[in-house]
Amino acid sequence: MEKFKSIIRDYPFIAFIIAFIILAFVPSVVFTDVYQSHLATLIFVNIVVAAGLNIVKGYCGQVTVGHVGLFAVGSYTAGTLFLYLGLGFWATLPIAIIVTAFFGVAMGIPSFRLEGPYLALATLGGGEAIRLFIENGNFFRSTFGISDIPTPSLMGYNFDSPDRYYFISMTIMIIAVYFSFSILRSGVGRAFMSIREDPICAAAAGINVKKYKILAFILSAMFAGAAGAVYAHMPPGYIHPNNYTVIEMVTFLAMVVLGGLGHIWGGIIGAIVITIVYDLTRPLYKYQLLIFGLTIVLTILFMPKGLGGFIDRYFLEKRFKKKTGTEKTS
Amino acid sequence: MILKTKQLSKSFGGLKAINKVDFELPKNEIRGIIGPNGSGKSTFFNLVSGIYDSDPGSYIEFDGHDITYTPPHEIAGYGLSRTFQLLRLYQDMTVIDNVMSGYHTRVPYKFFDAVIGRKKIWDQERAIKEEMMELLSFVGLADYAELNASELSGGQRRLLVLARAIAMKPKLLMLDEPAAGLSPVNVDNLMKIIMQLKEKYGLTLIIIEHILKVVMDTCNSVTVFDHGQKIAEGTPAQVKDDNAVIEAYLGKKMDDEEMRKALAV
Repeated sequence: MEKFKSIIRDYPFIAFIIAFIILAFVPSVVFTDVYQSHLATLIFVNIVVAAGLNIVKGYCGQVTVGHVGLFAVGSYTAGTLFLYLGLGFWATLPIAIIVTAFFGVAMGIPSFRLEGPYLALATLGGGEAIRLFIENGNFFRSTFGISDIPTPSLMGYNFDSPDRYYFISMTIMIIAVYFSFSILRSGVGRAFMSIREDPICAAAAGINVKKYKILAFILSAMFAGAAGAVYAHMPPGYIHPNNYTVIEMVTFLAMVVLGGLGHIWGGIIGAIVITIVYDLTRPLYKYQLLIFGLTIVLTILFMPKGLGGFIDRYFLEKRFKKKTGTEKTS
Repeated sequence: MILKTKQLSKSFGGLKAINKVDFELPKNEIRGIIGPNGSGKSTFFNLVSGIYDSDPGSYIEFDGHDITYTPPHEIAGYGLSRTFQLLRLYQDMTVIDNVMSGYHTRVPYKFFDAVIGRKKIWDQERAIKEEMMELLSFVGLADYAELNASELSGGQRRLLVLARAIAMKPKLLMLDEPAAGLSPVNVDNLMKIIMQLKEKYGLTLIIIEHILKVVMDTCNSVTVFDHGQKIAEGTPAQVKDDNAVIEAYLGKKMDDEEMRKALAV
């Protein structure tokens, strides 16, 4: 067991390969109908977005409410590339990631001067501007949305139904989560956190604040872009501007907050819980926003570090007690 | 000379917070900076560490580099580290993360290696963590490594800030009131740790301090500021007897005749 642990510590990607194998058996063993595969794909897409949002908001502390705009950029890059050039998933995915990264730079520039609620307002404007631009341009097939975006195929095998597409979204999710883990566990993650805590002190400690802020925005934009492209190609392959409103943003925020801002698992736990709750409360669609708003407020009040921080705390207190034989200091 | 300023000035509106200060600091010295409140000591620190931009005509040189208009993170890269009067602790990070973030300028690997997460990254991260744990146990915080910094007591916070500033192995360490608010026993303990760190890392130190005992006992030389100007400089004993210094702290020495005149007006 010890040896296994040290192998995982040196080569973390082994853990992700194991996770991949386990998840690969889930559809055939656990799921009973196609809809559950569809739901799983949605969870994976949300995990990718939330993992990206956790980098910029949870770790770097930049309050962005325009993330759904970046998600839309990812989707619509994929959609329009298919519409006008007929490109497939394997071409649109990398292009969507790169294009969204550039939008991430634009979204991040206000963070040089603005902080907290003011930055939230600026990014909210940015996100909404992107959606309105898409909605009001005939180029993007505004009112009808783009439909029949093809599913990817690999070596003659077409991932054309939800239970097949599951494997595509799952692979992207595993890769994205792996990247987010290795970034956040390294010195880059620490630099992000120190900027969140105190930018002036971070600068005095040798951290290039502007560079790392923009880097956080670019990284999270790339995550959102990848998620957007996966979402666009998801069967039945239909995207519409109505899927990228502030309401979606609130659910993304609820995911990160509930999972734990600045916790490495934060976005992932939150995305799983919120997506399932979202699906279960579909009959109560009138009250969904109320539920998510309340979730954010209550989590911040009673569990400021979210589920992830809550669980961490429990184990930490146990360890501290064992080590020093005393109760925690405060 | 590790640090040199010429005609260093900074004004906020009409107030001249620092007015034409020439300052020189040789290597391996412990320099104390004293002066009444609002005399420009902290502003001097902020100018040197690049947090404020100095007024035109100023010149700052650190270890052979002209750092007059260099951004703070590059100055830190040259090996200048500082602490803040208000600590500026990373409250929501663990103690070990606080110290490790001070290591930033010395992190050996590149960003893309970190993204891919190669084995060598985790080896290096572990080495950094070990080194920082050593530093923590040196200042006596090793048991608290995994707690949040906000859970430490006042004295422990001061030690943590010190450890974070040392983590980058600076050439020059600037301490802004390291002992403020500590009890006399803790002050002695802190100064002992600072002296040991100086020996261990071969530091040059500048200390702003209001506790004169600390300054008189530990510093090789003292600079006195008042109203943004350098009014005296020398060994602690020289400075103690300097008329300008006594005047700045206690007011002017007068005989009876002068006193009567002053009161009559």
